[in-house]
Amino acid sequence: MPDMKLELQVNGRKVTRRADPGQRLLDFLRDELNLTGTKEGCGAGECGTCSVFVDGKLVKSCLMPAAKAQGADIQTVEGLARPGDLDVIQKAFHKTGASQCGYCIPGMVMAATSILREAPEASLDEIKERMGGNICRCTGYSKIIEAVALARDVVTGRASPAALDPETVGDSFIGHNVRRLDAPSKVTGRLKYAGDMVMPDMLHMAVLRSPHAHAEILSIDTSEAEAMDGVACVITADDVPGKDGFGVFVHDQPIMARGKVRHVGEAVAAVAAEDVATARRALKKIKVEYRELPGLYDPEDALQPGAPVIHDYAPDNVVKHIPIRKGDIEAGFAAADLILEDEFTTQQVEHAYLEPEAGLAYVDADDVVTVISPSQNITHHRHMLSEIIARPINKVRFIMSPVGGGFGGKEDMIYQGMLALAAMKTYRPVRLVFTREESIIASAKRHPSRVKYRMGLTKEGRITAIKFDMLSDGGAYGMSSEGVMRKAAILSCGPYEVENLQVDTTAVYTNNTPSGAFRTFGGMQAQFATESMIDIAAERLGLDPFEIRRRNMMRAGSLTHTQQKLDSASIGRVLAAAEAASRWEPGAPRMRGPERGDLGGPGTRAPCTLGARFEASKDGKERVA
Amino acid sequence: MLTFDRYEMPATLPEALALWADAPAGARLVAGATDILPWAREGRAGDVDLPLGIDLSRVAELQGYERHGGRVRLGANVVWQDFLDTPELARWLPVMPYCAVWFADDQIRQQATLAGNLVNASPAADGTPPVLALNGELELCRWAGDHILCRTMRVEDFVTGPGATRLAPGELVNSVTLDCADGYGASFQKVGQRRSLVISVACVAALVKLDETGTRFADVRLALGGVGPVPERLRDIEDRLKGEPVDARLIADAAAATAARVASRSRIEYRRRVVPGFVRAALEEAADRARKEAAHA
Repeated sequence: MPDMKLELQVNGRKVTRRADPGQRLLDFLRDELNLTGTKEGCGAGECGTCSVFVDGKLVKSCLMPAAKAQGADIQTVEGLARPGDLDVIQKAFHKTGASQCGYCIPGMVMAATSILREAPEASLDEIKERMGGNICRCTGYSKIIEAVALARDVVTGRASPAALDPETVGDSFIGHNVRRLDAPSKVTGRLKYAGDMVMPDMLHMAVLRSPHAHAEILSIDTSEAEAMDGVACVITADDVPGKDGFGVFVHDQPIMARGKVRHVGEAVAAVAAEDVATARRALKKIKVEYRELPGLYDPEDALQPGAPVIHDYAPDNVVKHIPIRKGDIEAGFAAADLILEDEFTTQQVEHAYLEPEAGLAYVDADDVVTVISPSQNITHHRHMLSEIIARPINKVRFIMSPVGGGFGGKEDMIYQGMLALAAMKTYRPVRLVFTREESIIASAKRHPSRVKYRMGLTKEGRITAIKFDMLSDGGAYGMSSEGVMRKAAILSCGPYEVENLQVDTTAVYTNNTPSGAFRTFGGMQAQFATESMIDIAAERLGLDPFEIRRRNMMRAGSLTHTQQKLDSASIGRVLAAAEAASRWEPGAPRMRGPERGDLGGPGTRAPCTLGARFEASKDGKERVA
Repeated sequence: MLTFDRYEMPATLPEALALWADAPAGARLVAGATDILPWAREGRAGDVDLPLGIDLSRVAELQGYERHGGRVRLGANVVWQDFLDTPELARWLPVMPYCAVWFADDQIRQQATLAGNLVNASPAADGTPPVLALNGELELCRWAGDHILCRTMRVEDFVTGPGATRLAPGELVNSVTLDCADGYGASFQKVGQRRSLVISVACVAALVKLDETGTRFADVRLALGGVGPVPERLRDIEDRLKGEPVDARLIADAAAATAARVASRSRIEYRRRVVPGFVRAALEEAADRARKEAAHA
């Protein structure tokens, strides 16, 4: 590894280090200087969690070799305010509730700082445009933009500094902006996520992943990797001392592939080494012999007779089937004036939380195997790991680190077991930080679904019967599929009272990336189908879409699809609010596009373009164009 | 993950060229580094260990810009943000700020160079169409044992295909020279999936100069990117418009002809539908700005 004397100013202090000049400035700041407020979200310049000032210019430190910062003046998020203090922008982020998971926030604060330095009078459009290089997945950006505008107004004297103070709350918190307790640690970059944590003598893990979707593992030879300088251990499924298998409902997933791989990206082996580069180099020395097996890539194929079997325990490839029956659909369809049939498909979706999966495991002095990770389900993980490593529950500990965005995607124990095994094998702390690509290839996704829909209605728009049949791609492992199917079934026919229904939701195994929990947990796929059907019905029956919904909506006393009697229902108020807010033009939805009076105007967004900064500025400085 | 066995930061052009002349196979020049680092990742090149990286960002001869008559010479280290932050460059090269604002994002523009964008030769490069429109030329230099040998080449001839150029072994781009287009109205249009950090599905650069009456096209420059293996200058359309009155109908007719230029490998139908609209919008906006420019002068 090359070595250069790097001399620079970091947050006002002189720093001299011998370091690899070709490493990224991001790694230099995080690993050499422990300035972990600068995050890594993608490593490819796409997300902006690593933004820092170099000689006053904001750059993405994941795209800058450290040598380029030779002699430069660097400012990171830690250098914006005095320790324990917040600057105006940080206070504004605190005030508006701009930080949620917090992982993007140091980068957002840096981008906001750059705007107020470069263009203190920036309009809202210009603020949005200049923050285009920073991605957030929690907030929808509104509160972040609100924070930048508030800070701008205070800096330019348009608002009093008192605008940054917390709102006075009287007897009730309801109706007030209450500041988050954890915001100061997030806006300053002080909060340590799992990937920011270090322990003395810590090892770094890298994971070998399957290039095949479905293949038998004939052999794994780790000897060459194990013999490498700097490698502490290599683990495979053979290192699991107890009963292997985890999952939110069915424990069908081994810590690492056992005997065969079931999807591209499945963990096959893992290396713990002195540094990440060594661990990654060692992966190339592991020899795995595979025998490819016929795979399943479409859920329809999984149900065909004679289809390849992915898990021996489920010869029909069904993860879970949830049926709901209510009333008599034959009678319901017989009473219908109009019967509609259609099919709706939705695609796989990645959560793309800004914090890639990360964890740190160690065996403590009392032999307690401890795993720190942003797990969304630590108690369940603890119980499962105790069986997998054959240790009593009091010798297994899970510590939940701050979750840098989860949205359901961090409910599955897809890497914590590997960390525990490596820590047990080496008795040293072991850390694993996924790359963005690894997070996308290995973590669960939203279920792709197909709904075959049949709906009967009277001329007046009353639903007489629904037949709802959803087939979902569960991917290679069960994960949350059972719960997702249950929720999809319960919510299937929407907030409408339907006397006769037949609902079936089924998730099947395929050799695609596993599907799991994701915000709405199956509800989104079902609602897309149901609401689309109702819109189609409104058009066919010449009814206003709000009106047809009102004619069918659940009310106090209604029986839900699972026959629970409701004490109250709010859909009527929701419809009224939506109708008013959208300035809906009443009537059957036969008009499209520019003929409609409710398109355009206040509350709608102009076509997407750029160039707000070219508008005349008030500061009198010469601006381009 | 990108690692280098050696990483050099030459301070002068002779030093850089001498290093490059003796570089081992697999060595790379590093300009802004905004493309090489994402390249060395899973799904693209994977983990890469390079024997040598020659970082050009401190080479004195590659810094800055100067104007010579009707041409401006940009050192290879001029970064994209310079077109937004340097009023002089924005005035001389009026299409560049409009292109720059669509290029990556505010932060990457602080590092990414125009020269690097041209050398990468992506069919969707945002930088190539405006450079073609401004009759861009590159100065290519190499070390000839005891002195520097340079040649110039039109960018139109330099880019030969996706990722392919006429850069010879041992050569590097020393400068990019462009027409000064003071008084032209300019436009850059781009379609992509979002505003920042997006690869162009199609992009177009237009420059328009009006005659003294402000009603006729005195000069038109038009170039298209993202719709074929190499960005293309649309001279036939330029010729069709030159001398004609600025007229919405004429612009629309001329723009309609550009659909036939789409020669991409994918999304051909979509591109054929959007390209004429973007060419029309670019010409109209450029003409409009040329009018304002004339009123200003």
